[in-house]
Amino acid sequence: MGDSKNEWELLVPIVPFLLVAPSLKFLAGWESVEAAFLIVVVPLLTFPAILVVGQIYNGNETWKQRYKEGGIFGLGALSLSLSIAIWIIYDYVVGSAHFEAHSVVDPFSWLTFDVIEQTGTQWEVSTGFADIGVGVWIDSVTLMLLFVATFLCFLICWFSLGYMNTDKINEDSNHRFYGEFVLFAIGMFGMVLADNFLWLFIFWEIMGLCSYLLIGFYYWKDSAAYAAKKAFLTTRVGDVFLVVGLLMLYDIYGSLDFAVLFDNPSTGVGGAVVESGELNWALIMLFIGAVGKSAQFPLHVWLPDAMEGPTPVSALIHAATMVNAGLYLVVRMVPFVDVHVNGVAGLEEFALTVAWIGGITAFMAAAIAFVQNDIKKVLAYSTMSQLAYIFTGLGAGLLFLNIDEHHAGYFVIGASMFHLFNHAMAKGMLFMASGSVIHEVHHAHDHVRELSEKYSTNEGDDHGDFDPQDMRNMGGLAARMPVTATAMMLGSMSIIGIPLIGGFWSKEGIIAETWAACLHEEPLMLVPAVLVLATAGMTGFYMTRMWLMTFAGPPKSEVVGHVHETTPWIKEPLIILSVITALGGFALALLGASDYLGDPHHAELSYHGLLDTLEHAFLPEDSYLRLVGWTTMLLAMVIGPVIASRIHGGRLIDGVEASPLVSWLVDLSSRFGSQDVSELADSQLAEALQRRLYFDDLYEVALAKTAIPFAAFSAWFDANVIDGVIKQIESNSATGSVQIRRITTGSARDYILMAAVGMISIFALLWGVSN
Amino acid sequence: MIEASWIAGLGVILFSIGLLGAFTRKNAIVVLMCIEVMLNAANLNFVAGASHYSDVDGWVFTAIAIAIAAAEVAIGLAILLSLYSTQETISLEEANLLRN
Repeated sequence: MGDSKNEWELLVPIVPFLLVAPSLKFLAGWESVEAAFLIVVVPLLTFPAILVVGQIYNGNETWKQRYKEGGIFGLGALSLSLSIAIWIIYDYVVGSAHFEAHSVVDPFSWLTFDVIEQTGTQWEVSTGFADIGVGVWIDSVTLMLLFVATFLCFLICWFSLGYMNTDKINEDSNHRFYGEFVLFAIGMFGMVLADNFLWLFIFWEIMGLCSYLLIGFYYWKDSAAYAAKKAFLTTRVGDVFLVVGLLMLYDIYGSLDFAVLFDNPSTGVGGAVVESGELNWALIMLFIGAVGKSAQFPLHVWLPDAMEGPTPVSALIHAATMVNAGLYLVVRMVPFVDVHVNGVAGLEEFALTVAWIGGITAFMAAAIAFVQNDIKKVLAYSTMSQLAYIFTGLGAGLLFLNIDEHHAGYFVIGASMFHLFNHAMAKGMLFMASGSVIHEVHHAHDHVRELSEKYSTNEGDDHGDFDPQDMRNMGGLAARMPVTATAMMLGSMSIIGIPLIGGFWSKEGIIAETWAACLHEEPLMLVPAVLVLATAGMTGFYMTRMWLMTFAGPPKSEVVGHVHETTPWIKEPLIILSVITALGGFALALLGASDYLGDPHHAELSYHGLLDTLEHAFLPEDSYLRLVGWTTMLLAMVIGPVIASRIHGGRLIDGVEASPLVSWLVDLSSRFGSQDVSELADSQLAEALQRRLYFDDLYEVALAKTAIPFAAFSAWFDANVIDGVIKQIESNSATGSVQIRRITTGSARDYILMAAVGMISIFALLWGVSN
Repeated sequence: MIEASWIAGLGVILFSIGLLGAFTRKNAIVVLMCIEVMLNAANLNFVAGASHYSDVDGWVFTAIAIAIAAAEVAIGLAILLSLYSTQETISLEEANLLRN
């Protein structure tokens, strides 16, 4: 562990990367959109460089100390992507003349297929019919997600310099981490910028690969290898459906380009009218892909296990960016559904499916989060639950758009995207904060063990039963880790939806509009509406519980007393994201982010007025919605946290001080009395939640009954039938050749005899034929 | 003028003698000589045919066959010399290196 002040000079190598964007603008005179490809290409060149150089200089001291085993180069490439992304966003928001509503750059065509078509009874090959180009698609949703991706990749790479490089277990394998990290960034940036579904799918799969590689970063641990395989295979189930959906879209429209598809979704290939039937199935197939990627019911089982990866990976891939890919895919379906502009009517069932899946997942994940003791698992279930909120919002939005209620539709889709932003920022930070906690507790435990080893001969037992991620070993950390405690407090507030902070602005919109859809349009929306409202209160409970178990109360193990918040590189991202989480949501709400993200054609980012914004949030005109809004606030802000405080709240031990706001909260938590829940904790319900509602067991049994016998049969068929035939031929040839070999005696006399006999036979044959 | 069929008959007899010798004799040089006898039996047939049909092709074939036979004998004797130098025998009974 070094002093953080001395490490700033290590950032010198990233300066040239930062200078690229300004020099392109002012020296070369490029437009921001022309530089967009660099966002993907520069990491694409950096990723092999880190791996190769890291392999060559593995173990070298300079490489380790000055270049952080490649981390500095990763940070440089990501800073370049971030700077270009900010440049594009600035141009777009300021309304530079070069942008239209959608700006598409198509530098060159990449793939050209020959397409076989049936004309009448003839099959004909038409050359170059399907043309897949490489281009960039930019609208407000793209830019929002691009900012989230580049910004969080940058910050989390920064965080990794502290988290990964100070841990002995990662030594000499960090170049693998940074290489895969940058490869993931390529996938995410590319997916966001892609201008057709084929490229979107390719980058989608790159992310899936990196997710697999990084979950299995500690591949020598069985649990990590298992989790990596589970994540890869579960998402693969969704991806197969995604491919089918893409083929169906191609069948309908004869193209996968956004420009072609979104221009007029009601007209298919050759001017045919698109029926809702086939399109409905195509969208459902795509949605199953999204469900797999975003870990929604019933393909949610992989996400909690994915926490086996290093914490920066959990922060980046499994909380802030990759899991948003599914949401992005669903948002891209808006033009198909939007009957206000050329959409196809009759897709209400699809919209309802999306909303129902979201509602069920939100509730289920929040319930499971109640009983988790692993700090990262709580956050994992929270991620699942919050993503499900966004799906519910999108479902409601698609429903509105499909029945031509486009104002409400655009608003709730915008609110969902806004929640994506708030959630990504808050959850990225929460994971980093949890990483900070885990890291320091882990080091403190090492320290304690060293002390105790001086007095005992007991050695070799590495960490024994001590789990640095288990919240039952923490408690009272508020005094030891002020920055982390504050960051985690703000992040939790944003996720809970405490008024005026981060997620409040977007979550309120989602819940209110889901209820509006239920009350005014479609009674079947009642289920998701009730579930998301209940989840708001449950979120209040489990996030408060997590915070209190970690930071409040007396220390639950002696390790806590040795925790110090000293690792460099960790604090800066936490502070930056704390500010964004605390103020960013409010600021963007004042600018009307929900309208802007939902309806990029017409809305602009403009100051909406403080009072207007507050009134819209707290006192909507519709009295039902006012009721829903206040109920949400009551549940999320009061009931959930108070119950959590009664169970887990408590003062810090005497004589330690925390920062004023944090210590006020800790004190507050001890004032609600206490409640014994051991009876509830032993109940069958708690057991079921502990076992994740038996989904994993169910899938395992289902696989044991279907896939495994099928695999066994296939193995038998391969060994006995396919290989059997070949082996039989082989052994017959072997025995046959032994027989044949016996006539080659090596004696010239025999050969002459054979030649003579052969010759005489030929003459006899000729004689017979000629007669 | 002798009938062509008589000459062909002589060829058959010579060929049979050569074939029999090639089968039965152990000495490689004798076998080589027997093969020459068979070749010349074939040449005799060519010549008989050529004179019977008054066609020059038979003569040409015979000339070529004799040239080839000369080359073949040279190679055959070289093989026998090599065989003798390595195995110290030219008996075909003992030379069976090509077995199996």
